[in-house]
Amino acid sequence: MKIGLEVHVQLPTRSKLFCSCATSAEEPNTAICPTCLGLPGSRPVLNRRALELGLTIARMMECEVPDATWFTRKTYFYPDLPRHFQITQFDSPIGERGQFILDGKKIRIRRVHLEDDPGRVRRVGKTGEEVSLIDYNRSGIPLVEIVTEPDITSPSEARRFVTELLKELRHVVGVQADGESSVRADCNISVAEERVEVKNVQGLRNIERALKYEAVRQVKLLKAKRPVLRETRRFEEGRGVTLPARKKEFEEDYGYIGEPDLGVFHIRAMADALEIREGPMETMVRLVDKHGVQETVARQIVSTSMSLASLFERLAVDVGSDAAITWVTGPITASWSKLEPRLDEVENEVVAAIISTTSGKMSDVEGRMRIEALAEGRDLETIQAPEGDIIDMVESFLDDNPELVKDFQDNEKAANRAIGQIMQATKGSYSSRDVVAAVMSALRKRI
Amino acid sequence: MDIETVRNVAKLARLELSDEELQTFCNDLNDILEYLSMLDEAPDVECFGFNPIPVADVLREDEVGYDVDVDSLREMLTTYQGWVRGPRLS
Amino acid sequence: MGEGATAVMSGLTFDLEKLNQTYHMFNDMAAETVPGEDESIFQFSAKDNLCTKDLQARAGSRILEGYRPPFDATAVARLRSAGGVLLGKTNMDEFGFGTFGTNSGYQVPLNPFDLKRACGGSSAGAACAASVIPGHLALGVSTGGSISCPASFCGVFGLTPTYGRVSRYGLIDYGNSLDKIGLLTMDVGHLRRFLPIISGADPRDPTSCAQPPLELDAEVRRVVIPEDSLNGVDGDVLETFQTAIEHLSHMGIEVTTMPMPALRFALPAYYVLATSEASTNLARYCGMRYGERNEDYNQHFDPYFSKTRSRYLGQEAKRRVLLGTFTRMVGFRDRYYMKALATRELVISEYAQAFEEHDLVLTPTMPFLPPLFADIEGMSPLDTYKADGLTVPPNLAGLPHLSAPCGYVDGVPVGMQFVSPHWTEGRLVTMAESWNGAHPPMRPEVIL
Repeated sequence: MKIGLEVHVQLPTRSKLFCSCATSAEEPNTAICPTCLGLPGSRPVLNRRALELGLTIARMMECEVPDATWFTRKTYFYPDLPRHFQITQFDSPIGERGQFILDGKKIRIRRVHLEDDPGRVRRVGKTGEEVSLIDYNRSGIPLVEIVTEPDITSPSEARRFVTELLKELRHVVGVQADGESSVRADCNISVAEERVEVKNVQGLRNIERALKYEAVRQVKLLKAKRPVLRETRRFEEGRGVTLPARKKEFEEDYGYIGEPDLGVFHIRAMADALEIREGPMETMVRLVDKHGVQETVARQIVSTSMSLASLFERLAVDVGSDAAITWVTGPITASWSKLEPRLDEVENEVVAAIISTTSGKMSDVEGRMRIEALAEGRDLETIQAPEGDIIDMVESFLDDNPELVKDFQDNEKAANRAIGQIMQATKGSYSSRDVVAAVMSALRKRI
Repeated sequence: MDIETVRNVAKLARLELSDEELQTFCNDLNDILEYLSMLDEAPDVECFGFNPIPVADVLREDEVGYDVDVDSLREMLTTYQGWVRGPRLS
Repeated sequence: MGEGATAVMSGLTFDLEKLNQTYHMFNDMAAETVPGEDESIFQFSAKDNLCTKDLQARAGSRILEGYRPPFDATAVARLRSAGGVLLGKTNMDEFGFGTFGTNSGYQVPLNPFDLKRACGGSSAGAACAASVIPGHLALGVSTGGSISCPASFCGVFGLTPTYGRVSRYGLIDYGNSLDKIGLLTMDVGHLRRFLPIISGADPRDPTSCAQPPLELDAEVRRVVIPEDSLNGVDGDVLETFQTAIEHLSHMGIEVTTMPMPALRFALPAYYVLATSEASTNLARYCGMRYGERNEDYNQHFDPYFSKTRSRYLGQEAKRRVLLGTFTRMVGFRDRYYMKALATRELVISEYAQAFEEHDLVLTPTMPFLPPLFADIEGMSPLDTYKADGLTVPPNLAGLPHLSAPCGYVDGVPVGMQFVSPHWTEGRLVTMAESWNGAHPPMRPEVIL
């Protein structure tokens, strides 16, 4: 099975691709101007940020970037398209012949290009007689289109491809795609020879559903020795089926011509000057290859957060990969939600605590407690003393109740008695976790 | 260019033409296309541009702004609950 | 005021309504205008394809009936802020599609030198107003000769600047890679005064941002005539043109000829590019958002669009939309559209060669006298296209050019056209001024 995708994603800009209207507006038709309404006399002017973001994506996918690029008019008639031509790129995409590594497998990228979105259209009225209502807030929203070669071999792989692609885009250019509402794809699939295109499928889930349905349909046809027609189909979300797109009386011909209002853009130098942030995929590969992290663990670290991955890499240098894995997947992951927002402030102290622990200057329990304290932002000065206090308190409690140690040997639940009493005695000045940790550690030392 | 081609081009351009108009345009266009075939004799040139002068690297910064009052634009449009009305899609 | 607009210039007052009843130059007029007592205040007109807040902009087309743009074209805005008062919008061939002004969805302007003859197109009303109203400044637009042609037929100066010199923001597009806004006037001093005002980079039109500064002081010594350019020019026009060449020689200007064989490809290349671009530009006119709206939304969009377009677009607009749609279709695009783009480069380099040794290229502007309306009816579309043979080459190449009145045949004006290198409008202004000094144009007798 061969699957190729044309994925459309909105670029995160403040203003539209060719005019300065806002890209975010609540009420319909409130972010509009002569340009995005296609009024006679209006003109497009290209948004620098959109071009830079597009180039960043092209570079992220290791595309070849040409010296110059330009735009093209693609003419067709539809009520949501104000000028009745879309300004897109036909013979000069900003990137060509790139690749995307999906789970170690290379998916070739044919091209990456920029284009503007038409308006949003709503159908209103009786079924079969609906009139259109249009919101031009959407008209002119910058899109990047990423076209793959037919290197994808299953519907689930297609979904994974888009999922991983969005993760990369989120990290590298700050795309806000949520996977369902803001990604759209044209899906090409051939089980045997003939290729079928399922146009305009919205969201990850539907991409997989549409492809699955289409794969099964094609297999059934082939089994019945009936031909698969080369055609364009659409996906009906409600019923989960693909249907032939309305047969036109004639073939639409886009009649591509160069867009004379924008001129050309020398993008090679621009692309070279961009600083590209490393994406999750690349980091993951390095964790596996360089630090010997298991792939599932590496994926978990990277998908938790890219700053967790960078903390791991720092620890791997300081304390070795094995200890780094233990600490990062254990205590650090456990406190991550609180630790991440404070990381800039306390990262050095976290690393210092782990170095102390692995070099034997600090016990594991002390190390864990310290990380928790750092994550919770408790005052480190005041924590020093109570930390000593609670250990002393636990020790003296066990001295006074030696039978508890014996009971603990039989059943670890015995520890609960000590925990409860100490919690009561300290009236909540320590977290239950700290108390539990101190009691457990002290008990284990005594047996 | 035969009359069927003219009919197809007219459909593509969303023009509804009577048979008489089709015939007239077919004759006119054949005249014109025959003349335009002179281009075949023009020496081939490697380069091409979309403008007669070089226009390069004109960009605007990604800033939001409205030159033309949005309310006055909305007043021009035929709307229903703020949405612009259009014909049927099916 | 209140009682309709008047044109006050050079101390004379004209009732615009009355003028318009005779000549049909305006299709929309200002209700009130400021009398021109203050020296810094001047009156001007704008071709109907230039957007103006207070008047309709219909580009001579019925399909734009009622369109009042919510913004001014940059050229109009710049004239207004320099003290200009807009008198009205001038009639034109629909979207610029014509050579005689007769393809207007509104009124057809009449030639001030002979009302039975055409003004030339497509800036017909602009040339007519410039000819009839003393001291008038008319904003025109040229795609393939739409300033030169009517300037020649109406006996006025018509200056078409380099492509990109004047911002096209607010210009209703015909062919975006060809359209140029320029000036028509009987008063040669206006060229030097107003060209700098309408010129200059405008961030709202990227193609205007490539220009070097405008330099108006220049010298013209050597002028060259392309060898084949006089073939097919009518005898009476040719005679007048030859006399003008003698006058130029007397002014100390050296006039020679040279072969420029590539120029003959300019006309076919132009008609391919202009109609290809035009057919995409006109795709937006479909009965939604602005202009004519049939508002019978309860029908499929295909017939909805087709009906509106078929009903309100004129014959020549339909013809050019058909031609332009065809020349960019799969299977024909390379032969027509792509070849035309390459041919434009060929024509540009042919001119560049001529400019190595010469300051200006010279031809008659039009191959015949302003035609009688009766004769235009007998012309085929191709005959009409071929009439643009001399005005199209500089337009295709984006070169600045000037049509100047160079003589009269039986009281009807003949024009000659000077072409200069990109961005050297100064040579044309200088040429116009020195020619005007020796041979000032004749004014038509104004009929009220």
